[in-house]
Amino acid sequence: MAEKEKFLKEMGAKVGKIIDRPGRLYFEVANDDLRDVARYLFRTQGCRLSTATALETYHGLEVIYHFSHDATGQYFCPRVVLTDKANPRMNSLAPMIKGAEWIEREMAELLGIVFEGHPRPEPLLTKEHPRGLRQPLRLRRTP
Amino acid sequence: MGWYNKRLAKSLWVFHVSASPCNNCDIEILDLLTPRYDVERFGIKLVGSVRHADVLLVSGVINQKVAPKIRRLYAQAPRPVFVVGVGTCPTSGCTFKDSYNTVERREDVIPIDLYIPGCPPKPEAMLEGIMKLVGVLRG
Amino acid sequence: MSRTVIPIGPFHPLLEEAEYFRLTVDGETVTDVDLDIGYMHRGHEFISERKTFTQSIYLVERICGICSTSHPLACVHALEDVGGIEIPPRAAYIRTMVGELERIHSHLLWLGLAGHFIGYDTLWMWAWRYREPVLELFEAVSGNRNHYGMMRVGGVARDVSPDVIPRFLKILDEIEVKMEMVAKAAADDPVLRSRLKGVGVLSREAAVDYCAVGPTARASGVATDVRKDEPNDAYGLVDFKSIVLPNGDVYDKLVVRVLETFESVKIVRQCLEKLRTTPGPIRNDVKEIPAGEGIGRYEAPRGEVFHYIRTDGSNRPVRHKVRAPSYMNIPTCAASCKGIALADALITLAAVDPCYCCTERAVDIVDRRHKPLKLDLLELSRRKTELLRREIHG
Repeated sequence: MAEKEKFLKEMGAKVGKIIDRPGRLYFEVANDDLRDVARYLFRTQGCRLSTATALETYHGLEVIYHFSHDATGQYFCPRVVLTDKANPRMNSLAPMIKGAEWIEREMAELLGIVFEGHPRPEPLLTKEHPRGLRQPLRLRRTP
Repeated sequence: MGWYNKRLAKSLWVFHVSASPCNNCDIEILDLLTPRYDVERFGIKLVGSVRHADVLLVSGVINQKVAPKIRRLYAQAPRPVFVVGVGTCPTSGCTFKDSYNTVERREDVIPIDLYIPGCPPKPEAMLEGIMKLVGVLRG
Repeated sequence: MSRTVIPIGPFHPLLEEAEYFRLTVDGETVTDVDLDIGYMHRGHEFISERKTFTQSIYLVERICGICSTSHPLACVHALEDVGGIEIPPRAAYIRTMVGELERIHSHLLWLGLAGHFIGYDTLWMWAWRYREPVLELFEAVSGNRNHYGMMRVGGVARDVSPDVIPRFLKILDEIEVKMEMVAKAAADDPVLRSRLKGVGVLSREAAVDYCAVGPTARASGVATDVRKDEPNDAYGLVDFKSIVLPNGDVYDKLVVRVLETFESVKIVRQCLEKLRTTPGPIRNDVKEIPAGEGIGRYEAPRGEVFHYIRTDGSNRPVRHKVRAPSYMNIPTCAASCKGIALADALITLAAVDPCYCCTERAVDIVDRRHKPLKLDLLELSRRKTELLRREIHG
């Protein structure tokens, strides 16, 4: 796909491990490079942010953003791996993309990731839980 | 209060309480008002305020944010009030039993008198349930 | 603390203290909108880690009652993406047909509610009356009016028998005739035009910034439609148009939905024709889903539904992320409600077609000094329509 090649040419230096599937490009990105990659995808290539997934693996936490290039149906998914499970912090994309605000608030609430630079870092869905929920989507099993 | 219940059964005023439903049951309840099922011919009316309600139709599996509000709503409803649980959610929790955000037992939040199971219950099933209630009130 | 509720339908939602939409007003103009959600949060993603894949399909169906085909379709697309699984052609046509029928019934539902909000109660009763035949078709195909349980990984669960098809075609003809009536009314009725044109405008820049999807984005000139961008199932094999309009106001959102209903009828007709001549299995046997990750999406009536699944080779997902379209569309109310008259607030909030199960239906109105005001938005909206009607028709 022409879009994929264009992206890899421009941002190849910031991209780590790549998983290339038909129509979906998953690649690892360091926390410091995330904003540049996202700015390129959102502004220059005209992609739309579909959503972002956060999950916990045995090795750490992963945050995957999903950018959709609507004209061709190609998905670009930068993945940030956070190894510090006790205190996971990363840069927020909400100041750049308004649509990321709720998405990041939800990830912060359910998995405990701190998004630095988020304009409104308060819980979105479980503010009034009587037992004061603590990160319900964290795995409770150990390897 | 047998004579009062008989009078009540002639025209039940129903208030719909939506407690974290998936909205399917709510749409089916609204469908009861449309010309095909036309529940108004039984004198049943949906009202806008809980203070006018004789029957509370509860749909949804009650979640933690909504539970205190439902308790307060039930406290505000003037007695006698009958609570009908519409759908499988208030009956047994449906698929949401194991969640962190739903209450353990719906009956701890609001006591339910009549259960209409189904996901969603067909409008005919809801009518039958309401008619059972009317039958019980009539004695 | 007093609050005002938007009555939706003839019943009023509960929630004494719910502060979902908080409108700050200055006189008669809305200056700011604040949003608070969480009333419907039931923890799907937590539950799905404890269920098998087939159980997940039933679980995601119950996220929303109105888009109850969209979530299972996106879920099976995601699982098929992980495993690179193909589906037989007959299953593709059945899937597309069920999805488009759902679009018809959802748009009719919205049309009815929009009519109720602006004071056209006949439109409400009428639109919901014509939903009934569509729900009957669902019952004939799947056994239930909603929550069909039709989707499986590798195909569909039930076949469409040939004797149902003539009834289908008759009902589609009926719906088309009635929708033509509505389209003509929307185009010709001066009261409707002056009530909705120019109201609650969402600019193209704001639609892109909020990453809006579905008719909300297409009415603002953003051409995003999963059916055209990534034609899964039978969307690549049927002929239809994706409707994009430039103005971004409530009138355009209404027109997009009405025209989309016509396109959906066209698609269902083509699928039924193809089903007559496409024999074969309705499901490919799938023994296991390999470890990996997959993305599945589907164009629901409200926009793009997105599912992401991470698997580890067992029969349960490691992580199943769900993003409903209203999650991206409802924040756009902050942009489209700024500077509108209070009488237009209700129809503007409803024009993004918020899926109720992701949202609550309560509105709080405060003035500049954060003192709450008691106002009935439905009454204001209907009164404005009445005034316009008197002005135009004398």
